[in-house]
Amino acid sequence: MSTAFDHADVQGNILRGYRQRRVRHLVLEIADRTAARRWLAATVSDNGDGVPQITREGRERWTTKPDTCFNIGLTFEGLAKLGTPSISLDMFPKEFVEGMNASAIKLGDVGSSAPENWPAPFNEPKRIHLVASIYASEIAQLDRVQHQALGDGKALKLLGACDGWISRDNHVHFGYRDNIAQPRFAEIHGPEDHADGQPRAPLGTVLLGYPTNFEGLTWRVPERVGHNGSFNAFRVLAQDVAGFEAYLTETATYLLTHPDVDELLPPGAEANIGEGLSRHAALREVVAAKMCGRWRSGAPLALSPDKPTHNVTANNFDYVGEDASRCPYGAHIRRSNPRGGQIVQRVANHSRRLVRRGMPYGPDYDPTRPDTKERGLLGNFLGANISAQFEAMTYDWINLGLQDPRVTGSNDPLLGANDPATSWFDLPLKSGTTIRLRGLPRFVTTRGGAYTFLPSLSAIRFLGALQN
Amino acid sequence: MPSNEGWLDRFVDGLPSNPLFMFLARRVLVPYWAWRTPVTPQPGGPRVSIQPGDNVQCMMNLIMPLKDKSPIGRANAAMAISQYKDEIYAGLDNVGTVHFARFVIVDDNICMFSVYDGDFTNYIRDFITTIGSVFNAVVELVEEGEAVIPCEQNVEAFIEWVHARDMYQVPDLATDILKDQKGDKAGSSPDDLRKLPREVVLQLRANPNVSLGGGYRAYPGYSAAQVRQKFGVGW
Repeated sequence: MSTAFDHADVQGNILRGYRQRRVRHLVLEIADRTAARRWLAATVSDNGDGVPQITREGRERWTTKPDTCFNIGLTFEGLAKLGTPSISLDMFPKEFVEGMNASAIKLGDVGSSAPENWPAPFNEPKRIHLVASIYASEIAQLDRVQHQALGDGKALKLLGACDGWISRDNHVHFGYRDNIAQPRFAEIHGPEDHADGQPRAPLGTVLLGYPTNFEGLTWRVPERVGHNGSFNAFRVLAQDVAGFEAYLTETATYLLTHPDVDELLPPGAEANIGEGLSRHAALREVVAAKMCGRWRSGAPLALSPDKPTHNVTANNFDYVGEDASRCPYGAHIRRSNPRGGQIVQRVANHSRRLVRRGMPYGPDYDPTRPDTKERGLLGNFLGANISAQFEAMTYDWINLGLQDPRVTGSNDPLLGANDPATSWFDLPLKSGTTIRLRGLPRFVTTRGGAYTFLPSLSAIRFLGALQN
Repeated sequence: MPSNEGWLDRFVDGLPSNPLFMFLARRVLVPYWAWRTPVTPQPGGPRVSIQPGDNVQCMMNLIMPLKDKSPIGRANAAMAISQYKDEIYAGLDNVGTVHFARFVIVDDNICMFSVYDGDFTNYIRDFITTIGSVFNAVVELVEEGEAVIPCEQNVEAFIEWVHARDMYQVPDLATDILKDQKGDKAGSSPDDLRKLPREVVLQLRANPNVSLGGGYRAYPGYSAAQVRQKFGVGW
């Protein structure tokens, strides 16, 4: 299959990341169908007439990284508004047609996360037709490309913009190093590149038209526009950093006097966690690591259960036969990707994998001056099938915890739709007992989002040339 | 307490036991209502919930009308199930989230009744992934089955096909039927409780086979794997 694969037909933000420092997602409404088609055609014309050019994948990554990258995703409303033929529209899957709001309960978007509480532009989901993403290192570059993209405003109307940026090297607001583990593809990565103890993902994990992780099973490819395209769950996820840090403090205080605490952190081991840390401060970091499955440095508990080693990007591990006193069954990275570990849904070990392209938004959090300004993550969760990957992972694994009877009935400690009255998270110990933490509040609140389709370059040309 | 019912009240109250009126209601009034306010058939399955306990032990009551409505057709269905029983059960085992599943023939329908945990689409998708080719032999005996076989190559369509044939689960709270009918038009108009009996009649006209409420449970909801783990039989 790889010989037939045309790299240059795929948008450049799908199979690997750009590693740019800044992103701006423009949330757009199609103002005029004909002008929007002309605009789309111009984005893939190689001369552009002043319109930004879609960044595409290549057999090799560029030798010099471009100053800016530009990609687009269309919602179902956007495809319909462009006049996409019904023979193609009818082949899109139900969850994409109905949109992210219709899946709110499945995604845990309830209470404060419910779509009714989303601010503009996400309060009018039917008006969101297109999300254009600009990647660059400087704000001035984002502004310039935005200006080019909007042009005279006849084709597209700007409903809102979301800016993300990385202030520290790949760290997110809760203080963890992120963006370590991604699916590897045979068409992009050599067998030993970024080895992660997992099989390389078939292209059908993220692109339509290729074999998937399910043997013999294929997804429907919408005629003319589907092949080489990908689906994206775009999410604006606010993080309550003050609440998270307060929970760590409170939990460390509780653990200090817990009869089994020495098993969790042997006396004298504080120095392994960080230089000059008090027992309380070291316990805070242990709890943070157990909740995520990685230390805040990025080091995975599966490889380094007792201290945040310096090999921060270590990713070559599995949970097969692993003792949960290292990485709890309910830890965030284990819930969202159980790798080869034992799970209830035996056919699902590698089938729900997602490509994650996220960037933090909002001001950095200064623990010496706690504030409650909005900050969080602009997440893009890519896959060839939203229902089988993003929604399946969120509904059955992140929340509910159906993959392991020892976590069933609990939600992800970091990302879950938790309610302090009922939430719990277990810290398994070497002796086989567990310490159960309770009262976890909801740390991540959904503030907006949309399901988009990232069409191939040839699909963009097709849409740009529509005449009906 | 003296009754202040007038003759009209007594007349209206007596209508449901008046054979002439009931005949007219069945033959004229209900078809007229249905023509005036079309009600779409509701898809089956439980309402999605994120409350622990409500999202395990969900019911699927799949009713598949046989193409051949004769003893021969029913025999073919019985043979297909018995021929592939081992493969089907192995597939259910691999899904991991299924408590019980039974195949039943009622009139000229082959039915699959099962109790599963979590999301319906994941259940059906994982099931088809493991035994799709075998289940095709059952689906091809069913009306409109040919549109979705081979099911492993028509996964999205097959899931919707099953969803449409799974029994609509009438809400425990009858008034919630009004919410179901509004669907994505939620909030479009206030509920009018006076219309409830009519709406129930129309919904049951659109969905002749339904499951009534969430059903009885002798104990709180546990996942199949939790039960297996507690009994020490592996999961």
